[in-house]
Amino acid sequence: MGRLEGKVAVILGASDPASMGAATARRFAAEGAKLVLAARRLEGVRAVAEPLGALALACDITREEDLARLADAAVEAHGGLDVAVNCAGVSVAAPLDEVTREQLMLSCEVHLVGTALFFKQMARRMARGGSLITISSLTAYAAPRGYAAYAGAKRGADQVVRIAAQEYGPRGIKVNAIAPGFTRSAMTEGYFAVPSIAAAFVKEIPLRRLGTVEDVANAALWLASDESFLSGQVLDITGGQTLNRTPTEEEMMGALAPAANQEE
Amino acid sequence: MGAQMTGLAPSFHFMQTQTDKIVLLCTDGGCEGKRDMSRLAGKVASIVGAAGKGNIGQAIARRFAQEGAKVVVSGRREAPLAELAAEIDGDWVLCDFTSKASIDRMLDTVVERHGRVDVAVNSTGWGLLVPTHETTEAQLDAMLALQFKGPFFWLQKLVQVMAPTGGSIIQISSATAVIMLDNHAAYMGTKAGIDHVIRTVANEYGHLGIRANSIAPGLTETPMTADAMKSRALVEEFRKCYPLGRIGTPEDVAAAAVFLASDECFMTGQVLQVNGGLTLRRNPRACELEAAMRDAGEGGVA
Repeated sequence: MGRLEGKVAVILGASDPASMGAATARRFAAEGAKLVLAARRLEGVRAVAEPLGALALACDITREEDLARLADAAVEAHGGLDVAVNCAGVSVAAPLDEVTREQLMLSCEVHLVGTALFFKQMARRMARGGSLITISSLTAYAAPRGYAAYAGAKRGADQVVRIAAQEYGPRGIKVNAIAPGFTRSAMTEGYFAVPSIAAAFVKEIPLRRLGTVEDVANAALWLASDESFLSGQVLDITGGQTLNRTPTEEEMMGALAPAANQEE
Repeated sequence: MGAQMTGLAPSFHFMQTQTDKIVLLCTDGGCEGKRDMSRLAGKVASIVGAAGKGNIGQAIARRFAQEGAKVVVSGRREAPLAELAAEIDGDWVLCDFTSKASIDRMLDTVVERHGRVDVAVNSTGWGLLVPTHETTEAQLDAMLALQFKGPFFWLQKLVQVMAPTGGSIIQISSATAVIMLDNHAAYMGTKAGIDHVIRTVANEYGHLGIRANSIAPGLTETPMTADAMKSRALVEEFRKCYPLGRIGTPEDVAAAAVFLASDECFMTGQVLQVNGGLTLRRNPRACELEAAMRDAGEGGVA
């Protein structure tokens, strides 16, 4: 008896096998959920979806009609929608003195506006209660230099989570975020070319290891299941790093130039 | 009972329990599969505050046992502890949580008998409701002893006991450690205080593989709240404060405790708000409760 038996779940941002979305998809499938996976790159989603017997769809979180189509597809294919996880993200890093309007708008469109519209379109198709989940970030709580665009939008999305919890609660829909720390994933792979970056992070983590995409999947599973009486919360799965801080650039030593823009 | 289900590995059996929950039993040690319902298999869990019939500690004890843990329940009264221990095939040790010596002795006994402590839960508490300006020195001393000094020395002992193996520490806090409830200052202040100590423990002992977190329920039907919750008007006033439209149950807390206790959880130093979104709002004010009970023709206790 899987912990998500009988549930239909949409996961957005699952085009790379090393992503949080793909790890969540694998975990949900193992727990008995029926899945609809989506991302901008259909080829990538198909590769993740196929071994799981999941439906694969192209979806750009910045296009509301894509989101509506995604929610409709889940209902058409599986007769309902119970869980929706938003793992779509874009890495934007630049100090304020260098950040461009385009970078700021991109982060807001994907992380803030995208999350709000994702909730809106998914909740519309949740006729029997459900669980909405989005991925926040340690950077929304720590204050790492170079992350105004990324973390500002993520923090904004967390406030959307709290308000969505208020608005959708009466329909039995809980809304929560998961905040991982620096996690080895499709989006961050480039940072691992410089081993001192990960090492500098581990020093700030009480549990002395980086988080993994599986940690994210485990937290998502709990939030998705009927076992969690939480709503409007940001689940901090940073291994305790929010008790400390993010490392400085000096500590990361020889770090990649923070302007490296790397989309998932 | 024990009927094999088709479509699953033959080593798994279903068993119906008294609570009608389906428990998956593993018979050949192959539990690391995807379909585990023995999420705490092989763990030794110590739960303090489990003597009150139907309280949160008891719900956690039952759930942990269903998930495969060896559970040792503690509290001040022998009879209910022995009864619960027998029901869940666990063990019991007396403990007065206001006494450092008693806490040390209890945890030493658990280690002596079961080898270690993987998970420890403090579910003790005293739900004192009294106006702040009327709170006596005796009341505050008693509150501090149970809700601050006891947990502090419990944490102090636990980090020593858990140092060789790591473990998960779970403190039952309260939504009122962050949101207001009238006439509850001594309770709320001590709960908030120990949450901060939990964060300290998480930060200082995380490198030993020790995680420490709190769970913050809202109003929950337990022996501690039973008297107040006889008023339907009062319960309804509280219910309206919950975005998810219902108040919590001891089982909600137990489900969260399983998550925090399991190896699946990369959280530490956190307070999990297991209260259906209550902290986005607030509890009813005392005057609102009084009015609602008056309107319903119920005697005022708030």
